[in-house]
Amino acid sequence: MVREEVTVGVGDAAAGLHEFPTTDMTLNIGPQHPSTHGVLRLRIVLDGERVVSAEPIVGYMHRGAEKLFEVRDYRQIIVLANRHDWLSAFSNELGVALAVERMLGMEVPERATWLRTLLAELNRILNHLMFLGSYPLEIGAITPVFYAFRERETIQAVMEEAAGGRMHFMFNRVGGIKEEVPAGWTGRVRQAVADVRSRMPDLDGLIRDNEIFLARTRGIGVLTPEQVDAFGISGPVARASGVDFDLRRDEPYLAYGELQESLRVVTRTVGDCHSRFECLLDQVYASLDLADACLDRLASVTGPVNVRLPKTLKAPEGHTYAWTENPLGLNGYFIVSRGEKTPWRCKLRSASFNNIQVLTELLPGTLLPDLVAILGSMFFVVGDIDK
Amino acid sequence: MTDLPGGGLARGLLITLRTMGRRTGTQQYPDVQPALPPRSRGVIGLLEENCTVCMLCARECPDWCIYIDSHKETQAPAVEGGRERQRNVLDRFAIDYALCMYCGICVDVCPFDALFWAPEFEYSEYDIREMTHEKDRLAEWTRTAPPPPAHDPNGAAG
Amino acid sequence: MGIGDAVLPDPVKFVLNWGRRYSLWVFNFGLACCAIEFIATSMGRHDFIRLGVIPFAHGPRQADLMVVSGTVTDKMAPAVKRLYEQMPEPKYVISFGACSNCGGPYWDSYSVTKGVDQIIPVDVYVPGCPPRPEALLQGILRLQDKIAGEQVSLNGGARGARAARSPERSTARVLTAPLVRPDSSP
Repeated sequence: MVREEVTVGVGDAAAGLHEFPTTDMTLNIGPQHPSTHGVLRLRIVLDGERVVSAEPIVGYMHRGAEKLFEVRDYRQIIVLANRHDWLSAFSNELGVALAVERMLGMEVPERATWLRTLLAELNRILNHLMFLGSYPLEIGAITPVFYAFRERETIQAVMEEAAGGRMHFMFNRVGGIKEEVPAGWTGRVRQAVADVRSRMPDLDGLIRDNEIFLARTRGIGVLTPEQVDAFGISGPVARASGVDFDLRRDEPYLAYGELQESLRVVTRTVGDCHSRFECLLDQVYASLDLADACLDRLASVTGPVNVRLPKTLKAPEGHTYAWTENPLGLNGYFIVSRGEKTPWRCKLRSASFNNIQVLTELLPGTLLPDLVAILGSMFFVVGDIDK
Repeated sequence: MTDLPGGGLARGLLITLRTMGRRTGTQQYPDVQPALPPRSRGVIGLLEENCTVCMLCARECPDWCIYIDSHKETQAPAVEGGRERQRNVLDRFAIDYALCMYCGICVDVCPFDALFWAPEFEYSEYDIREMTHEKDRLAEWTRTAPPPPAHDPNGAAG
Repeated sequence: MGIGDAVLPDPVKFVLNWGRRYSLWVFNFGLACCAIEFIATSMGRHDFIRLGVIPFAHGPRQADLMVVSGTVTDKMAPAVKRLYEQMPEPKYVISFGACSNCGGPYWDSYSVTKGVDQIIPVDVYVPGCPPRPEALLQGILRLQDKIAGEQVSLNGGARGARAARSPERSTARVLTAPLVRPDSSP
């Protein structure tokens, strides 16, 4: 039998193709491809329409953030930490601040803690709304993204009013937050939260029970709890598979310890694309409730929002690891300090990097059209993968 | 609702229909300027009179996008027989907005309140060299800087 | 050089440029944070279709305008250049945000290209990190002003300053060139 060689590239820079001496087709998706978001490149081997093997090729967005952390002082690290997972900027900077505060043994004022909790939850809503819009878009439903962005703009407006930035807030400082929020801001946040809550049924009703959406996502890409454990998957993707783990409840940081009765961790057991999407959708409602609970407390919590820092901030010699429950999963910073202005090493444990690796196990055996559905449902940010 | 076949689809279409009847939220930008909050980090303005050429902003900038040149001048003694004093005179203060990452550290660290945020954003350029704003242009931005908003009364005084 | 290169009279120029400036099919090279703000600009609140920017280009071959939004890394740079070369003339590029202007926050990184203008010509630079949606709209307005003032000729290519800056026009050979392989295949 004569064997053919078929090598096809889809998406640009589909370089580095192997010539397979079989009839299997090697398909490169990405790094720039309209059906994926970001510049993740997948090299998949296809047998007909069935995926034989899939390999995510990362590094197209590698910006060397960890190395840059080593030549920046802690305030400058916060600026840069904002940007690896650009959809959860506030939670990223929070991790750095928490790590340095722990090394310094610094007490953060109560009001700062509550404001941070509020802003972290608002940031979680922003992040989830982005995926609630983009995921249906990737599998062909165009409408929801407009609703998602309408809500995003509502929340971004109050975030900008407090922090000055629409995406990169740069509002955390070691020892608290940058400055007190403007007068009347909490009232406007309450209004924004109420607005988003009242309009969420629109987004929800458009897509959750849409038959086409169900057909594309239900039973597709089932992730088992064993795989979750084996690959260190975290966040909503893990909770959709029944792995009930949420740092906000299991190892409370910030003010989450006092919010336990308002905190609802959304879980599902099926682990398919649709349950991952539902986890995100229901988490928005849960976060809106948490934001309201924070606002209730902020009405009575008074005091400063930051502590006076020395002119040059030096973390004492030693190391620490601070992790937070970022919107997309566990985000940790391992900081080693030798008593300098800058850390000696700052290792970043990002959620998407771990989450995306399971694709090598999840994709083989699926059909090519389902690949896009599975890829989108892993809810990754490319900057978070490549750092 | 979803019991009926196609119920989910019908509900989605109903929502779309309802939204069609609502008011649009589109901002007519070039005709209507957006109302931006005073803290919005749009552009940095320089109040030259307040600058003492201490270089703190340039050194703290994570991007090194602030360029400062200065020279020393000797001042005549203030009183007869007094000592001559030296003072720094600012020759050049420029911010490269192509590089700036809008973190606000320079505004934070300025000990003499010479730098301000203004919410302006309309300064895209055809040539990247024009993105470096010299001090005359930075002074113009200062005029558009709004006063800082009052703090929440629950916060610490001051 | 032929009749196609002759500069056309002003009324024709006006009509052609008027058509060009208000039907910019845009190809979003979404790389990082700025891509989110690009998407926000295309959504209901800012809606750049009002300005004649159409975000439905299926790929670079159908696009007139490329918006490079985000960090261009050295690994990504060949893809950016290749997609730019696939776009038909006349083509325009907006560099959106500090990263694509000149590296931005990653100015000292070992893996980041310090500005997309090192690999492709850029028409408008939009400052910001990320720029707010209105800033992109203003960048688009400036680009439209620029297009309105362009010299035009019959063979499609815009002449004048633009042609002088990128002397080698894309030939069929460039556009149909095989894939660029890295030295060591992974």
